[in-house]
Amino acid sequence: MNRREFLKVCSTVATASLASPSLFSKLVQAQEGAFKKYKKALLVKEDGSPLKPEDLKVGKEYIFFYPYRSTPCMLIDLGEEVKGTQVKLSDGTTYYWQGGVGPKKSVVAYCSICPHQLSYPTPEFSFINYYPSDTPSKVVGRGNVIQCCAHMSIFDPKKGGTVIDGPAPNPLLTIVLEFSDGKFYAVGTLGKEPFEDFFDAYRRGLRKRYGSSRKAKELVEKSTVVEVEKYAKEIIRC
Amino acid sequence: MADFSRRDVFKLAGVGALIGTMHLSSTACAATTASRMLPPSKGNRVVIVGGGWAGMTAAKHLKKEMGDKVDVVLIEKRKIFMSCPISNVWLGGLVEMDFLMHDFHTPASKYGYTFINATVTDIDRDKKRVYTTEGYVDYDYLILAPGIRYNYDAWFKGDKDMARICATHFPSAFIPGSEHVALKRKVDNFEEGTFVLVVPPPPHRCPPAPYERAAMIAHVFKKNGVKGRLIILDPKDQIKPKGPGFRQAYEQLYLDIVEYVPNAKVKEVDPVNKVIKTTAGDFKFDDANLNPPHQAGDLAWKAGLVNPKTGWCDVDQLTLQSKLDPHVFVAGDASSVKGFPKSGDMAHNHTQNMVVKALTALLKGKDPYEAVKAPTNTCYSMVNGSPKEAIVINVLYEIDRKKKAPVKKKVNVENTRSARLAHATFEWAKALYRDMFS
Repeated sequence: MNRREFLKVCSTVATASLASPSLFSKLVQAQEGAFKKYKKALLVKEDGSPLKPEDLKVGKEYIFFYPYRSTPCMLIDLGEEVKGTQVKLSDGTTYYWQGGVGPKKSVVAYCSICPHQLSYPTPEFSFINYYPSDTPSKVVGRGNVIQCCAHMSIFDPKKGGTVIDGPAPNPLLTIVLEFSDGKFYAVGTLGKEPFEDFFDAYRRGLRKRYGSSRKAKELVEKSTVVEVEKYAKEIIRC
Repeated sequence: MADFSRRDVFKLAGVGALIGTMHLSSTACAATTASRMLPPSKGNRVVIVGGGWAGMTAAKHLKKEMGDKVDVVLIEKRKIFMSCPISNVWLGGLVEMDFLMHDFHTPASKYGYTFINATVTDIDRDKKRVYTTEGYVDYDYLILAPGIRYNYDAWFKGDKDMARICATHFPSAFIPGSEHVALKRKVDNFEEGTFVLVVPPPPHRCPPAPYERAAMIAHVFKKNGVKGRLIILDPKDQIKPKGPGFRQAYEQLYLDIVEYVPNAKVKEVDPVNKVIKTTAGDFKFDDANLNPPHQAGDLAWKAGLVNPKTGWCDVDQLTLQSKLDPHVFVAGDASSVKGFPKSGDMAHNHTQNMVVKALTALLKGKDPYEAVKAPTNTCYSMVNGSPKEAIVINVLYEIDRKKKAPVKKKVNVENTRSARLAHATFEWAKALYRDMFS
């Protein structure tokens, strides 16, 4: 990282930390450009009211869109404190993943675009999903994983979305959450962003769904959280 | 051309060049064959011969890894890409042909490599030069991804006429193109009688493909109310891989249609009288999909890189460099790596994780063995067309640094067919097409 890049990272991290001072100390630890700040978005329920911790069922997979209106993310309350950890990218970059947020520090969020070949949940199908412990993946015979059924990439939701097995070269992109005054906010991303490839690969589909590529790329200021079953007609678990 | 030696080709080229000097107007082909197509290499040129699953993956990922530091040239003879994976599903009428078709131009434009639409006529490894119908290109490293060729000689002992008759009337359709369309027409038109499908002996391209193809043909026969049988003649003693999944499909969905015959090694094929003699008996057929044994593609033979005892190229088990020439990597089905099936997914995976990583390290002056990563292989097979249902096998490998070879770490199989896995089959394909073509 050159000096200019480093300063840029410091400034984005510093800005993010204004919103949540507790974030600062951890994020500033040599994030090497892995953290990117976006518009701070309040997570809300379908009725528009702020999402509260008690609204989340433990082990349930929820979907919301962030930082763009077309980029899906998953939100999971893992039911117990999830500690932060170091995460490594395929190019050797490492960053500190913050762990869970919320009153129990148990809520995590990841971008649900597979870092392997960009499979993502659509209104028709969701191929990349969280498997709670009581619904283990049939392919690998275990739960508490996030798995993409297109090519069986498997990720660890308790370890910053790191790759457990399969062809994905990088961990899932973390959606950095902040919890304050009983509300959840998404503030940025941490890791390797798939967005450029995503917008390029799905141009036709996104245009159909959102009207134009430009509209698909609108940043959100508020994001509705729903159970993934309410969004995708079919949840493909394998 | 297949019977010509390298010397013959050079001789011909020499004659062509000579004629070219005498009759400039009538020898455009010979003249261009002898001309240099691109500026001399700056020491970082990788020429990829063959734009199939391995070649397309290599071109993109080399550029992604190295950007402008590598000069990538992809040479492919076809005018359009047609995917062999999912072609059985198309044969069953479950997708339109445009699902299989892709262009070479978009990825070349996007990732910045040179695409040459020409047929390779010879490879001179001493000069590190690839000759094509459009001229020649010099390389520093060559990635040879020629796919497979059919070994009709194993059946017809050098009788070219019989081989041609067999290939024309009963095309194999393991190399995409006209053969696939011809086979689909056969299947769609079949009304009654016996249809034979011969499973090639291993190793062949895509181990589960003949069984998936049988399921898709049976699906069409069932849909069309065909009064007939589909006989699968398998040289092996059982269906492999995903045996239980295929067996259940044949028994539960196509009991009156499919007859599976194990231990049926081909002894004699008579495409004129439509009889095939095997170690499990003789079979007369009305129509057939006759699949001869597979070998490394023609260009691998032309380059002198095939082990004639096996019919495949011996390669370093981690980098996939030819054992005969470290400047040549053999990617895809033509290479022989223990434990790797010959398939689109495997070609994609070993090219991205092993060939490209090793070559990138070499170009950067680093240790290629350290750079190689373990591949995976995921293979879906559609076994039912109505409703669409599939089964899957997924193999995880790890790199054994001591043995300098990949070894299987875990094999996951789901033999219970389901609609979920059918959806995943399409997503599997779309995602890989996305990687190679968008």
